[in-house]
Amino acid sequence: MTNFFKLLRFELDRFFKLYIVLIVVTIVSQLAGLVIISKLYMRRAREEIVVNQNSMESFLETYGQFSLANLTHSLWFFGPIALCIVSLLIYVFFIWYRDWFGKNTFIYRLLMLPTERLNVYLAKAMTIFTMVLGLVSLQIVLIYLEMNLVRLLVPRDFRLDLTIHEVIRSFDYFNILIPDSFLGFLISYGTGLMAVFVLFTAILIERSYRLKGVFIGGLYVAASFFVFISPLILSEIFLPRFFYPIEMFLLEVFAGLIVMTGAIWLGYYLLNKKIRV
Amino acid sequence: MIEVREITKRFGRKEVLKGVSFTAEKGEITCLIGVNGVGKTTVMNAIMNLTPIQSGEILIDGQKINKRSYEKIMFIPDAITMLPQMTIQQAMQFMDDFYESWNEKRAKELLDFFKLEEGNKISNLSKGNTAKINLLLGLALDVDYLLMDEPFSGIDIFSREQIADVFTSHLVEDRGVIITTHEINDIEHLIDKVVILNDGTVVKSFYTEEVREKEGKSVIDVLREVHLQ
Repeated sequence: MTNFFKLLRFELDRFFKLYIVLIVVTIVSQLAGLVIISKLYMRRAREEIVVNQNSMESFLETYGQFSLANLTHSLWFFGPIALCIVSLLIYVFFIWYRDWFGKNTFIYRLLMLPTERLNVYLAKAMTIFTMVLGLVSLQIVLIYLEMNLVRLLVPRDFRLDLTIHEVIRSFDYFNILIPDSFLGFLISYGTGLMAVFVLFTAILIERSYRLKGVFIGGLYVAASFFVFISPLILSEIFLPRFFYPIEMFLLEVFAGLIVMTGAIWLGYYLLNKKIRV
Repeated sequence: MIEVREITKRFGRKEVLKGVSFTAEKGEITCLIGVNGVGKTTVMNAIMNLTPIQSGEILIDGQKINKRSYEKIMFIPDAITMLPQMTIQQAMQFMDDFYESWNEKRAKELLDFFKLEEGNKISNLSKGNTAKINLLLGLALDVDYLLMDEPFSGIDIFSREQIADVFTSHLVEDRGVIITTHEINDIEHLIDKVVILNDGTVVKSFYTEEVREKEGKSVIDVLREVHLQ
């Protein structure tokens, strides 16, 4: 267990610089975006009301009140989120391949550590998971900050204060990233973690069987996906309206657990019996 | 003792190892010799479970390799296996964090011996100093066996001499060493046992002293004979 945490800390350190860049880009982009968008809104308000002599009511009727939703629908807001998601997706592959390629083949060192090789696998997966949770937490803190910043930038009459739930609901994909219940959290992040395990195992298949492994790995990912959605296929095609929602949910959890356990077991087997440096 | 028993290994359709067997004892330096592509590195990787074998068995002190074995045996490949952005000090700290057998005192001794600075970044090291760091990270472990893959490959004469000196020092004493090298001249006088690989099999295995005393031949003489056959 101690070695697992040492490896986790080590992997986190390796990603730290890039992670800091992602954090800074997110903070700067969203806060700068909020200032710019709110300033533009207020400038337009001034033009309409002071220059064009329109009433405040008519301005609000035309342009609506300013809320954080104005920001969440802009590139300033979802741009850095997309950047973080893409970076982490690339990192799922990079976290393994960088240890094989390049002048310094660190995979030798990792595989020769006096610890279960599965710890390397789990530490890498947990690194990705921790990074995701860290960025999501940052986003929640940023939303609170932005809610307060809006109050400073836009006068009361012109703004609509949203609750955090309303802000999250204003951005479609936020429901996945920031679920509003513990169950939702388990579903979103459980599925995410399962996907990471499946991809990791597919990478190890490729690293074990090389060119042949690309094909086998692809088949493995497809098979895992099929097993995961098999309860949905069962209920949609073969047994329509047969299961209660709770039964469907439990079947889905069961299928997810099978895929996840299968991925970890296969990863363990490949790392101990088939892997090549 | 390291026992390699009838191991076979294929890469695709090509059979690289066709039933290789040999033993390496503690306290002896065993040299694996053969032309390029004969499978020397593959044997090393197989011993460390860094590549799967098709058949055969490898035992270290009578046991198959497991996580605890890595406190007992260390492989020093010919490429640096630490991250380029690490300093020598960080690389040593990494070893200290994970290996119970890490010997800090010996590591410092080796740093002085090789005249290396702890603060130097691995990416800035010359080929010779990289080889020395590789050696340092392996030798500073209190392991029973050391596997070294081409430790003299591509390095200058002075670094080579310095590395060769390690073999006659107390740093290697009582350990079992398996080494692969093309620079046989540098260490011929240090080797106890030679295993010649050719076409995926062991064609000859002998103790250097026996050959020297009984037949009056050097390792190179025997090698030449084998290749002329």
